[in-house]
Amino acid sequence: MSLPLEELLKLEAEEILAHNERPKADDLRNKQQIYYDDVEEGMELPKYIYNPTPTHLFRWSAAIENFHRIHYDLDFGLNHDRNPSILVHGSWKQSVVPQYLKDWTLPKGWPWKAQFEHRAMLVPGDILIMWGRVTSKYEKGQMGFVELEIGMKTHDGIESMPGTATVVLPLRGGPDIPYPFVPPAD
Amino acid sequence: MTQESQSALTPEVSAMIGVSGDVVEAWGEVDGEYLRRFTQAVMDPDPRYWDKEFAESTHYGEIITPPIMVSYLASRIRPDQDDPVTRAFEENPESDGIGSIERPGELPPVPTNLVRVLNAGNELEIYKYPSIGDKVFFQNRYSDIRERVGRDGRAFLIITRETTYTNQKDELLCITRASTIRR
Repeated sequence: MSLPLEELLKLEAEEILAHNERPKADDLRNKQQIYYDDVEEGMELPKYIYNPTPTHLFRWSAAIENFHRIHYDLDFGLNHDRNPSILVHGSWKQSVVPQYLKDWTLPKGWPWKAQFEHRAMLVPGDILIMWGRVTSKYEKGQMGFVELEIGMKTHDGIESMPGTATVVLPLRGGPDIPYPFVPPAD
Repeated sequence: MTQESQSALTPEVSAMIGVSGDVVEAWGEVDGEYLRRFTQAVMDPDPRYWDKEFAESTHYGEIITPPIMVSYLASRIRPDQDDPVTRAFEENPESDGIGSIERPGELPPVPTNLVRVLNAGNELEIYKYPSIGDKVFFQNRYSDIRERVGRDGRAFLIITRETTYTNQKDELLCITRASTIRR
């Protein structure tokens, strides 16, 4: 049972981890389409919960060849930049966003747009909750456009990445969303 | 005119809006091993990234890659240049690890005395997932520069750099916009 974000944030950090809804490979393989017709304002997306460790941060630095020491050199972070610890990368958070939108719109929808700000310094030990909520929807060109409020909250409720997104879902009985995606003309 | 009320959006700064860099070909190509490392690091187990038979049966018809992966492909340090990491620490033993790294396709600096840089946010527009074997081309552009006034009465700038990514077929992959605050 998926807990509403508000209820999730009332739990202790360790309890929040038990409500992680990040899909496994087979969940994504067998993902059933959410149609535009099924979406309602206020509907919440699954919550992806992360517990980043220094090793996760190091793996991300290595994968994208980001050599900034604030992400892996604790002594530098504490004593040079006066940070509270090594810092979770904004680039990692930014990369979670299209994944999150992709997963929700699979198998035939499209994660078209997102915009977000980076706030708060996140450190290992923070429990992070990627969340989304439907704010409005409209049809255009036989496609269903869904506007979302998105963010990544810490376990103590601090919003580190407030933003919005637009995804495209097929209409029940409607045509496939074109791929590559071509937005309808205004 | 007091310092607090001086505009930061000078004619020279405004003239940078729309300035583009060269179209640059990223080093290497989209490959399965980079895809594996990237998707494991972002913790996305989607079989569309690694199960060829399944991926070919999907809406996309092939193995896909995360849209934003190309931005890191584009920022790779080319092997045909001097090692900038070693140089950074030779120049400054206390280097932050990124200070002296030169990236291809960079835009000319905005002519402002405001030197403090803060991340203001990001935008993504996604049109096509890069394919394995794609060559990636990118071009930077100053898409917007705005002035705001802080609570202290001092003007600051919000500078938005747009990057457009295409492949060797000139297909649009994605557009990213990164905004920075200059105080």
